Amino acid sequence: MLKMTHLSKVYRTEVVETYALRDFNIDVKEGEFVAVTGPSGSGKTTFLTIAGLLETFTGGEYHLDNIEVSNLDDNARSKIRNEKIGFIFQAFNLIPDLNVFDNVEVPLRYRGMKAPERKERIMGALERVGLASRAKHYPAELSGGQQQRVAIARALAGSPRLLLADEPTGNLDTQMARGVLELLEEIHREGATIVMVTHDPELAARAQRNVHIIDGQVVDLAEDPRFHTAYTAAAGQVRG
Amino acid sequence: MQIKPILAALRHHKAGTLLIAAQIALTLAIVCNALFIIHARLVRLHQPSGIDEASLLVIGNQWAGKPGSDQMASLMAADLDTLRKVPGVANVYATNTFPLGNGGMALGVSHSPDKLKSVTTSGIYFADENALATLGLKLVEGRNFRPDEIGQLDRQGYVKPDVVIITRALAALMFPQRSAIGQPIYISAKPSIVIGIVDELRTPWVDTSFAKWADYSTLIPYRELTPIVQYIVRVQPGQLDEVMHRVRAALYAANRLRVISPKDGVRSFAQVREQAYRDDRGMAILMSGISVILLLITGAGIVGLTSFWVGQRRKQIGVRRALGATRHDILSYFLTENLLIAVGGVVLGGVLAIGLNLWLMKQFELDRLAPGYLLAGVVTLLLLGQGAVLAPALRASRVPPVEATRSI
Ligand SMILES: Nc1ncnc2c1ncn2[C@@H]1O[C@H](COP(=O)(O)OP(=O)(O)OP(=O)(O)O)[C@@H](O)[C@H]1O
Ligand SMILES: [Mg+2]
Repeated sequence: MLKMTHLSKVYRTEVVETYALRDFNIDVKEGEFVAVTGPSGSGKTTFLTIAGLLETFTGGEYHLDNIEVSNLDDNARSKIRNEKIGFIFQAFNLIPDLNVFDNVEVPLRYRGMKAPERKERIMGALERVGLASRAKHYPAELSGGQQQRVAIARALAGSPRLLLADEPTGNLDTQMARGVLELLEEIHREGATIVMVTHDPELAARAQRNVHIIDGQVVDLAEDPRFHTAYTAAAGQVRG
Repeated sequence: MQIKPILAALRHHKAGTLLIAAQIALTLAIVCNALFIIHARLVRLHQPSGIDEASLLVIGNQWAGKPGSDQMASLMAADLDTLRKVPGVANVYATNTFPLGNGGMALGVSHSPDKLKSVTTSGIYFADENALATLGLKLVEGRNFRPDEIGQLDRQGYVKPDVVIITRALAALMFPQRSAIGQPIYISAKPSIVIGIVDELRTPWVDTSFAKWADYSTLIPYRELTPIVQYIVRVQPGQLDEVMHRVRAALYAANRLRVISPKDGVRSFAQVREQAYRDDRGMAILMSGISVILLLITGAGIVGLTSFWVGQRRKQIGVRRALGATRHDILSYFLTENLLIAVGGVVLGGVLAIGLNLWLMKQFELDRLAPGYLLAGVVTLLLLGQGAVLAPALRASRVPPVEATRSI
């Protein structure tokens, strides 16, 4: 589904060159639920933005759904984002001027979907996240957890095959975080591929696979002796 | 396609939206009325006077040394002789005023000696037997003045002509049922018999307040013996410029005791017309200037507000891009948004424009605004809006999708 090989991303400013990702390799299979962890500034968000075609990369290759994406033009990238990818951001990123219904509708409109189908999908997605009764509410009238569930409904409404979430629970308390995760697990069970960045070891542990990023590179915690202890400790915490 | 959500979003930006819509409305109201007035003024600039302006010169002559009436009569006769001998001069006569001269005498015209029962006001032109030929007026009925009919009028005298020549419009007004020839009209206590009718001759005034009787002119057979006299000179084809220089020299050579202003003592009718409509031209320029400034301010307002909105919405533009909007989708979002505001503005503006026109009609006797001006104004403002919004909208369309993930 998502395969990066020797991928690099360099941010150039006037004074410095930052390697946000270097020789980055990852292969996420269709239907997997992968949790991405790593210290702050290690390149998790960078990875996710490149994976979601929000940004281009400097070197290497990225195949999304067996398509090499570096040759695609802006319109083609927009189309893929719209049809194949759902985004969930840490800051929810709902459009404050639009009510819940209209927010969920945004990607569907860009897809050129007809009104009756849009409505059906929007209400379906809102029911999924338990917010059908809030369709006319504005984001400012909802709690953080509710807003994130609207964002999930927005990501879901277009039935994307790949769901990218950047610390989806980072702004939520434990209770709400758990609710969001359960929702993601449910979506995963229905066949979507999910890549989720998180700081929370408990949430990470519930994913099928954990990928750890340090200094812009994927490290295998189970095999790298440097991190073995930390990893088992974190995992143990959750299990224990 | 995106109209509903755009309108929904605009409800959260009421102040800016209303501000721009109101600005568009006011601009439309003012600009289309201004256009209308400008056009009316420009049309006036080319209003025909009825005389053959292209071949005419006017000389303003003022006698020096306070000559008496008898003296003035012979001085004038001598001048007319002198002018007639200048090479290139086809004809000449002396008068008090001329079309586009913006000054002169106006008298009530009646069917009886009772001044209170006048039918209309008429512009009075002093004329002699050469006047019609000089001015190039077409006699449509009756005859010209005879030399023996030309009287002299000194300062103390009253205008009471035995015979008059009037315009076709005045004849039709006074005698709608029959020919005016041979009929008496009263511009004094004495009847004046209409002996001739000319096709068209405008009264001297160009101001709109005289417009009602602009076509009602009367030629009376008098030479006016005042220190200031106007000689109207008809020039042979193509010699206007040369004759303009010759006449001044010839008059001074014949008699030095006079003043012909070096600046505008001798004028072509092109100059006379230019001076007569100077205010109209000035008004047209002023109104054009105001319109352009208003349009610029409105355009700048739209650029400013849209730029502000684009800056404010960078994050949400990024989110939209992340959710699948193309650059074109973002561009069209802002163009559509502006179009919606502008349509609201021009609808309101249309009502205001008509209201303003009604008020102007009442206050300044303006005509009813022709729908074409409103339409032109509406199109102008809609285009202005789209043009003004283009640069900020293009900037918005270049917001990268990754903006969605930036926390600030
Ligand atoms: N637009 C940018 N310009 C320059 N450098 C950038 C830019 N975006 C990210 N970086 C740098 O790239 C590196 C990786 O950043 P990234 O945001 O991917 O980290 P992260 O793992 O998501 O961190 P966090 O857990 O704090 O969100 C950091 O060193 C960061 O400073
Ligand atoms: Mg991050």
